[in-house]
Amino acid sequence: MIIPMLEPEFLMGIGVLVTLVLAMVVRERSNTAYWSGLVFAVAAGVRSFTLHPAAHLVGGMMVADGYGLVVNIMVTAAVAAGLLLAFDSGRYTVEFPALILLAGLGGMIMGLAANFILLFLGLELLSLPLYILAASRRDARSGEAGLKYLLTGAFSSGVLLFGMALLYGSTGTVTFINYTTLHLIPVLLGAGLALVIVGLGYKLAIVPFHMWVPDVYEGSPTPVTTFMAFGTKVAAAAALLRVLAFGFALTSGVWGLALGYFAVLTMLAGNLLALPQRDLKRLLAWSGVGNAGYVLVGIASHTVSGAQAALFYLLPYGMAIVLAFGVIRVLEGQQEGAQMEDLTGLAHREPWLAAGLTVALLSLAGIPLTAGFFGKFYLIKGALQGDQWGMAIGLVVATIVSLGVYFRPIQYMFREGEGRPAQWSVGAAVVVAGAAFVTLFIGVYPQPLLHFVAHAATFTWLR
Amino acid sequence: MQVFGLVLVPWVGLLAFAFPRTWAKAIALIVSLFDLALFVTLLSHAGPGVNWNWIPELGIHFHLAADGLGLFLVGLTTVLVPAVILASPRSERPAYYWWILVSESAALGVFLAQDLVSFYVFWEVVLIPIFFLLSGWAGENGRATALRWLIMNLFGSFFMLIGVVAVGMIHQTETGHLTFQLASLAATSFHGAAGLWLFLAFLVAFMIKAPLWPLHGWMPSAYGESPPPITALISGVLSKLGVFGMLRVLVPLFYPQMRAWEPWLIALGLVGLVYGAVIALRSRDVKMTAAYASLSHMGMISLGIFTLTAAGAVGATFYMVAHGLIVGGLFLLLGWLERGTGTRELSALSGLNRKLPRLSAWFQLFALATLGLPGLAGFAGEYMIFQGLVRANVAAAAVAGVVLIVASWYMIRLFQGAMQSTPREDARAVDLNVGQVGLIGVLAALVVMLGVWPAAITGHVGTLRPAPYHVVALVRQGGSAQ
Repeated sequence: MIIPMLEPEFLMGIGVLVTLVLAMVVRERSNTAYWSGLVFAVAAGVRSFTLHPAAHLVGGMMVADGYGLVVNIMVTAAVAAGLLLAFDSGRYTVEFPALILLAGLGGMIMGLAANFILLFLGLELLSLPLYILAASRRDARSGEAGLKYLLTGAFSSGVLLFGMALLYGSTGTVTFINYTTLHLIPVLLGAGLALVIVGLGYKLAIVPFHMWVPDVYEGSPTPVTTFMAFGTKVAAAAALLRVLAFGFALTSGVWGLALGYFAVLTMLAGNLLALPQRDLKRLLAWSGVGNAGYVLVGIASHTVSGAQAALFYLLPYGMAIVLAFGVIRVLEGQQEGAQMEDLTGLAHREPWLAAGLTVALLSLAGIPLTAGFFGKFYLIKGALQGDQWGMAIGLVVATIVSLGVYFRPIQYMFREGEGRPAQWSVGAAVVVAGAAFVTLFIGVYPQPLLHFVAHAATFTWLR
Repeated sequence: MQVFGLVLVPWVGLLAFAFPRTWAKAIALIVSLFDLALFVTLLSHAGPGVNWNWIPELGIHFHLAADGLGLFLVGLTTVLVPAVILASPRSERPAYYWWILVSESAALGVFLAQDLVSFYVFWEVVLIPIFFLLSGWAGENGRATALRWLIMNLFGSFFMLIGVVAVGMIHQTETGHLTFQLASLAATSFHGAAGLWLFLAFLVAFMIKAPLWPLHGWMPSAYGESPPPITALISGVLSKLGVFGMLRVLVPLFYPQMRAWEPWLIALGLVGLVYGAVIALRSRDVKMTAAYASLSHMGMISLGIFTLTAAGAVGATFYMVAHGLIVGGLFLLLGWLERGTGTRELSALSGLNRKLPRLSAWFQLFALATLGLPGLAGFAGEYMIFQGLVRANVAAAAVAGVVLIVASWYMIRLFQGAMQSTPREDARAVDLNVGQVGLIGVLAALVVMLGVWPAAITGHVGTLRPAPYHVVALVRQGGSAQ
């Protein structure tokens, strides 16, 4: 039986198989596998958009609902962005499309998991291909990135698995909905929940489980980093939100406070440590850490607005970060990575590229008329609805710190001088233009997407 | 729709990028004059404005309308921006003109917004063009200046964002209806500790933008480093946003807090008034004298608002427009003075009234307007503010009166030092050309017109629809309208 709500996942699965077969039959340096991977990813995303959201509980394992669809859209967008950025000149292996589609499928499964077993399967399906992809460039830094990601990833999976075992041991169930009837949390269960949060926190890159992020983001090939920064974060945040706002909704007294402190710590540390960075990929990595903190504000506030804001914020964040990595991809050419100095004079040499990066950075800084502003507006509303003034103030302070991060690259672009010449590719141009359009569109008229997301992230037990 | 047109038209300046570089100034000028024409139609027939349900999910409306408070500040903006564009060199890149137009659009949005979130959106957008103008065109230290401008202003603005959201949510808990319409929010009272903190969040943001002492840290470098037209733009139009915000948001929403803190607020305004005047008196740089004189006058405007009387509020509104015209013209003149003589040092200038007769004459007029000579626009505003101040606090009025004498002192010192006494033989000097005289003449004509006929503004502040509820709030609380 094929449930219509699961069609996007089936499309993605077929895409994985097709690209795998293509990887065997086509020549090295052929773009065929990329094209077909892109077609399936886009088809899955479009199907998610056109499906009418209706909740289906599938055997206690998964909930196919609007929430999952929103996650699907974001993850497929991340997959498409990764593929488009990797398109040119066969610099990446022919297995790249299959692996990134597989990771995307894992992310989509995490979005609809209603059960820890499926959550774990999704997480591993997401992570394993990424370990390979992180190391797919044949040089020392990429190898280092892959190994670091593998070690921390395996460790975090172990922690998550241990937490799940403790939860199962104390309650006899791994299905989220069964946790909702709990009112008192036994110690064993609390420990299990804490370990689950830590395990997902590694993937989401919250402080203090973030140490792998800068090195992995810097060392991985840029298309892979793009997917990690958007897709992985979406999947981990979505899973965490579903576990906490759905499964443990009535026992928020246990985890709410701790998560709130994590949120403030992550926002401040991420943005402060982004300040001294001169390598753009590292800068964006730290910015990603800080943004994970913003998302956590929405989850920790534990209100209807907060949950909606957490899910919504992933979109402005993701679009801005994809846009920024797209610009880096154009800038870096054959030599991976880009420094702040490479941006010098970009506004005069490549005005469109500079405009794109400016939009991305303004959105990350939360300036109105870009998507980031309404994301932050919504998050503050969520925090205040939960009477969490401290988190709102923490968010604002972190945002003020982040101004120093995001406006320095902008100033470099508008300086006089010679930087690195840009090397456009069609794929990168599509990513830059598309992400810039979405960022500005949400910034000017967020209502349609806000409505869609708000309905998707309405959890039963939140006030 | 006119009001939406006012905000939208400046974006047409994007066309400047499509044409050769030398056309940019002309295109920007045409666009800004079109905006001025729209203002004139608004003056003759103020439509109901636009009120769109922007984001129903969050209760946010896009609500623009011209009321008595905002209308004349719209006029100030639409008059001053063409002047700023005309005073700029033709060789500038299109981006320069584009950023000026964007800042015009955003400033107009702030002056017209009737919804707190619309207000906030424009309030923040206005920072970005000025950031780019300072970064790119403010000389050696431009980048540091721009970052200081941005971070100081956004420091206030982001805390204000918490205030904006909180105000809406408190309104929701009281009435069950989530909205950010200022008219509805004015009916809610924000009391207790939360009310005080929210009041402070808004107050600090407005004080930084104005700037008011002691939050004027970005001002000296921004005014000092940027090219004269940009200084005129910032001091003439954008500095009004802060004090305008006080009238638009603070008075209707936080009247009880303002009433309770009135003596302290007046003291704050007075210190700023005195501080600006003293520094202006001691400054050796003609541009910095004008900058601190402007700071002092912002203190004066804020005093008018803090008196919480109708006379003070109307006077502040009037003085905002008058000050914008006067200080805009003054900075343009000082810019030409600097270009004509190659220096800004007061000690290096003397006897220019022989070498630069036209510049000297116009400078005299604007200096007199700055110190508040009766018959020129500054006087009428100061008079009304004093009227409110005497009613609210006689001692404060006495101190402010002394500062007026200091103001005459520093402006006359500036005029005598630069224009009178024996001219230097060696120094080069270039006088105003016909175009510059025409430009400054128009501003001067407006200054004289408002000086002899202040009712052109004051007669409409309280009567235009939709009713300016800040005045309503004042009257309701016991201050008597004039």
